[in-house]
This record gives sequence, C-alpha cells and structure tokens, in this order.
Amino acid sequence: MRSPTGGAPKFLNLFHIRFPIGAMASIGHRISGVLLLIGLPLLALTLERSLSSEVAFESLWPAVASPWWGLLLVILVWAAAQHVLAGVRHLLMDIGIGSPLAQARTSAWAVILTAAIIALATAIRWLA
Amino acid sequence: MHIRIYRYDPETGAQPHMQDYTIELESGDKKLLDVLMRLKNIDDSLSFRRSCREGVCGSDAMNINGRNGLACITALSTLKEPVVLRPLPGFPVIRDLVVDMTQFFAHYHEIKPYLINDDVPPERERLQTPEQRERLNGLYECILCACCSAFCPSYWWNPDKFIGPAGLLQAYRFIVDSRDTATAERLAYLDDVYRLYRCRTIMNCTEVCPKGLSPSHAIEGIRLELVRASS
Repeated sequence: MRSPTGGAPKFLNLFHIRFPIGAMASIGHRISGVLLLIGLPLLALTLERSLSSEVAFESLWPAVASPWWGLLLVILVWAAAQHVLAGVRHLLMDIGIGSPLAQARTSAWAVILTAAIIALATAIRWLA
Repeated sequence: MHIRIYRYDPETGAQPHMQDYTIELESGDKKLLDVLMRLKNIDDSLSFRRSCREGVCGSDAMNINGRNGLACITALSTLKEPVVLRPLPGFPVIRDLVVDMTQFFAHYHEIKPYLINDDVPPERERLQTPEQRERLNGLYECILCACCSAFCPSYWWNPDKFIGPAGLLQAYRFIVDSRDTATAERLAYLDDVYRLYRCRTIMNCTEVCPKGLSPSHAIEGIRLELVRASS
C-alpha cells in the first residue's frame, strides 16, 4: 500500500523511550549474546595455548593475573549468566509458562538481578 | 503545567523540534487530552488526532513521558512534569503528533479481519456456546490505536514484514472464533519467519495496551495453534 509520507521523519530515539523491565531483559539478552560471541573464542584460544606446553602455560600468567583479565572474566561471566537465564526464561514463556504480564515482569527482574549477583560474586572471588 | 511537545511541519522543511508550553490547569482538566484541547485554542498550529475523548476510538495515541498511551484516558495526576509528548515511535510523522498509519492498517487488512464462513447461513444467526463466546474476550475489544505496535522493537525494525502485535491480536480473534471456517488458511498465512515469528516475547505490547489486552498472549496462542496444526 502506498504511503503518503515517504521520507517523513520518525521519532525513534531509544533514549527517550521508557522501557519496561521485560525490554531491559531482552536488550540484556542481545548484548550478552554479542559479548559471548566475541569473548568465547578468546577464552578458547587462551585455553588451547595454556594446554599446549608448560612454557606456554607459564607465559600466560602475567596476562591472566592482570586486573584487565579479571574485568574481562567478570563481564563474560555476567554475559553467560544473563544469556542462559534470559534464554531459559524465553523458552519457558514460549510454552506458556510465566507468560502472564505480572509473572513475566517478575522473571525479567529475577534474570537481571541473578546475573548481576553472579557477576558480583565472581568479582569478589577474583579480588579475594 | 509544563508540557514539551514534538513539533514538525512538513511545509517548512525544518527538522522536528521540541516546543515548551506552560498552561494553568483549570478545575475541569482531568485528562491529558483536556489540556491538549486548551493548548490547541492557544496555538492552533498544534496538530493531534482525537475524536471520542473516552478511550474508545483510539485516535489520540501518542508517546507520553516515554510510554505509549491514549491522551484521553491518561489522568493528569499520574504525569510527572514536564510532560513530554512525542508521536508514536517508529511511525512516519505527518505533522506534530499525527502519524501515518498506512502500513499499520495494511497489516490489519492482510490478516482478513472479518468472519469467513462459506456455509449456508442459518435462518437467524450462527450460534455459539458461552464457552466459545468466552474465547473472544480479551481480543475483540482492541480499538486499533497502535500503542502496542508502536512500542514493539520487532515492529520498529521490520514494519513492512512483521504484522505486529495489533494485527496478530486481531488475527487470533478470528482464529479462535468458532464460527470462522478459514482457520487453516489464516494459520498458514501467519506461519512465516517475519509475519509471526519476528515476535521475541518482549511484551512491550501488553505493557502499554490502554485497554488492558494482551497481544503477547494472543501471539502465544497462534504459535500453539500452529504446533497443534502441524502435529
């Protein structure tokens, strides 16, 4: 169907939209997915190198002991927790479990808070 | 009351901008639309749609302080100042708060929003049991205001291919109607990676429906009907 407003402006500034908690969980699911896509190959490569020889294992220590590595691990642990929890929430909602709005809000909060707590616990353990 | 309103005039060619208004509330001002109507008397260039002024026609849907809703049933007492009004997100703006709903209604027409039954009509009417009639509750009340579709990220990114929550709610209304005989055709049409399955169950639609309906529940129903039909 032809629209009379080709080239018309659209209001779609996401910073001016007040997102419900379900949308925050969904955005978190996407961001964590991208982080895992980038981070997991890096971790796999590091693991592969560490297993190749004792010298290689020792050579990784300075990098692994740095605060940046700790930060990376905390971010990736958050991403894994957020992604798995939000994914399970989606799977359950797809078969009708927890899909009424009130329950969906509660589960969205639960996903976000649980992932944050897991990331925090990882950070504390790293610092200890 | 301090109100900020999105302004756009296609005739000037200028970019959209926000305009501030300050208006003294009067005793009769209860809903946001009351204030908008008085603003219109002060500044007649301000454009917005309205008709029934009681949440039935769905004309005055807009983005109110970041959430979609109907101005006519939004109580002023619930609004934080400044009240920021923008047009429905993702819809082409015709002027100020008036958006082009051509695409939205094209999707509505696509799902054939009418009863299909080629059987010979009975002498008086097609009867339903109370249980069959009950299944239409929560579906037939949709007023097509577009608050839901205009708050759906999947619809923002694929407005041409994803039918959107409003269209899918309407589709489900006819799928579950015991008098309709085109269920298989309706389901076959919706069984598409974009038309139906672009929904990611974010549930923004249900969050903002001014009639308290649940398009996400209808979409879940369509998915379950498709599973049943394929097994």
